[in-house]
Amino acid sequence: MIRLTGVELRRLVSRRLVVIGVAALLLITGIMLVATWQNAKPLSAAEQRNAQVNFEQAQKDWQEHGEEYKKQCLQDYQSQPDPKPKLEDFCQVNPPTLDQFGKPMAKFTELMPDLLLGSSYLLAFGAFLIGASFVGAEFSSGSISNWLTFEPRRLRVYGSKLIAAATGMLPVAVVLLAILLAGVYLIVGALGTTAGTTGKVWGDLSGTAGRAVLMAAAAGALGGVLALLLRHTAAAVGVAMGYLVLVEGVFGGFLTKAQPWLVRLNFDAWIKHDTTYLVDNCRSTADGGYLCTQIEKTLSFEHGAWYLGIVVVVLIALGAGVFQRRDIS
Amino acid sequence: MPELAVSTRGLRKTYRTRRGRKVVAVQGLDLDVPVGGVHGFLGPNGSGKTTSIRMLLGLIRADAGTMTVFDQEVPRHLPDVVGRVGAIVESPKFFPAFTGRRNLELLADAIGVPRKRVGEVLDETSLGERGKDRFKSYSLGMKQRLAIAATLLKEPDLLIFDEPTNGLDPAGIREIRETMRGLGEQGRTVLVSSHILAEVEQVADTVSIIGHGRLLASGTVAEVIGNSTAATVKVAVDNHESATRILTAAGLTVRADGNYLLVDGAEYSADVTRRLAQHELYVSELIPVRADLESVFLELTADEGLGGTR
Ligand SMILES: Nc1ncnc2c1ncn2[C@@H]1O[C@H](COP(=O)(O)OP(=O)(O)OP(=O)(O)O)[C@@H](O)[C@H]1O
Ligand SMILES: [Mg+2]
Repeated sequence: MIRLTGVELRRLVSRRLVVIGVAALLLITGIMLVATWQNAKPLSAAEQRNAQVNFEQAQKDWQEHGEEYKKQCLQDYQSQPDPKPKLEDFCQVNPPTLDQFGKPMAKFTELMPDLLLGSSYLLAFGAFLIGASFVGAEFSSGSISNWLTFEPRRLRVYGSKLIAAATGMLPVAVVLLAILLAGVYLIVGALGTTAGTTGKVWGDLSGTAGRAVLMAAAAGALGGVLALLLRHTAAAVGVAMGYLVLVEGVFGGFLTKAQPWLVRLNFDAWIKHDTTYLVDNCRSTADGGYLCTQIEKTLSFEHGAWYLGIVVVVLIALGAGVFQRRDIS
Repeated sequence: MPELAVSTRGLRKTYRTRRGRKVVAVQGLDLDVPVGGVHGFLGPNGSGKTTSIRMLLGLIRADAGTMTVFDQEVPRHLPDVVGRVGAIVESPKFFPAFTGRRNLELLADAIGVPRKRVGEVLDETSLGERGKDRFKSYSLGMKQRLAIAATLLKEPDLLIFDEPTNGLDPAGIREIRETMRGLGEQGRTVLVSSHILAEVEQVADTVSIIGHGRLLASGTVAEVIGNSTAATVKVAVDNHESATRILTAAGLTVRADGNYLLVDGAEYSADVTRRLAQHELYVSELIPVRADLESVFLELTADEGLGGTR
């Protein structure tokens, strides 16, 4: 099994598609860094003058009409149906400040979690493609039947392929996330602020990155399982994309209550350690109308972890069962 | 030392087509392949050769029956004997974007054979330098040779070749034939399937003929063809009409074939000449037409009451 896994890993790294895929992931990470740099870059002198002019104008406007705005808002508030939101939330009519017109300073602690989440999607997607093509190629070329005449123990063959697809992605994910973390830290450190990056923040960030790495490995293995079940790389990718777009994208949008059972949200819950989602809360009003508000709910990390864990285990077991029995011709 | 390299009893396989129809590919096959030498596994298209070979190799499951390879029950004990078996099933299948050498290296690594064996088998199959090219750039003959090279990695006692000369030119066919001959002479067992008797009869020591997934005949080539009465001679004679009359009267079957007559059922070709000469008809040419698998096969299936097409 160890020997077979070694062979599969060697095959993985000699695949051209893998090299291209890793290069593409690297490129996209680079683009993320450039975007961060663009974002964090302070305003040029001309832009700053512009902001100053706009600010002064707004200030003048406030001095003339500020009281009027406040009164208007209070009036609007009275006509709101019950239950009313808090007055402070409803009427945020404040005098303008200069930073509303300039650009807020880039903060590492605010930027990084979202970038990590984005990168984890990217890694999972890339790993899925690589895993699917790694296994799919054997079925479409038919070389799997030749392989099985050398090693007929199917479970070993299956296990070695999945382990290779999963572990092959580990170093890729670790390196890319390290580049992203270090790059953003340096860029924001130079152009914005990294203040508040305490040991605890680093701990949270590396926890998130670690979970993204595990997710990439799982996605690699699942890509392999799907390609094996469907016997084709393209079929595996098509089914996965179709599911995410149609089922999760379209139906998930209608059935907001079903969201805790969507892969995407559980993925977020796993990566971000808890995530939130909005549920429509609709009821009929006394005057015969229909009123909807949105309530924010939390999907726990544990939910995400169990959900994803079960999905991965079930699919891998299904693949093993099918491959064990399947006629290879 | 086992006597049989391969033995099957009552082997059955039914495929289910996509539309739910059942196709009985192998129905109760009893096949015995003696150890050593080349054994031809013959049968027309669709007779179940590839299916039987796949079952032996554990690629597909048999519905019923037992199989042994070197006295080990397969597929249960396949992992124990697979190291002694090298096989090519249908066309050679490798990773197209990898070089021939890389493909073999992966296989060698998988079974723990030292890498230097890869160079040796490439040389043995005269691929040598071409091993550095991608598999997909190979000609059919080179692909076939690479597949043979792969089976030799294990230094197997049993080689199973499924239609190894499919699509090859005469030179390629001869080359493969010589390779098989050589392997057989080294004391290995070569099981080669084909639907063309002529292709194997020159190298095969023994043959098995199957039709519709059943064994129809087996033994040495001479035994199998000798048992058949399908010997045919092609005769050139001036007067077709009288010749046909005379030969038919003697109990032979006569068909016209252009300028020739095809005469079936003569035990000795001299018989034909003698009978015609008695009526002052002189044969200018007499060519024995070898019994081909097709006629042997048709005759065998007719005996079995299975004749006709599928
Ligand atoms: N995967 C499959 N699904 C359904 N039917 C099949 C499948 N493979 C083979 N068959 C059918 O089983 C029968 C035997 O096929 P098989 O390939 O074993 O014949 P063969 O003797 O190898 O023929 P050939 O000389 O053409 O290679 C045929 O009728 C074929 O159509
Ligand atoms: Mg065949």
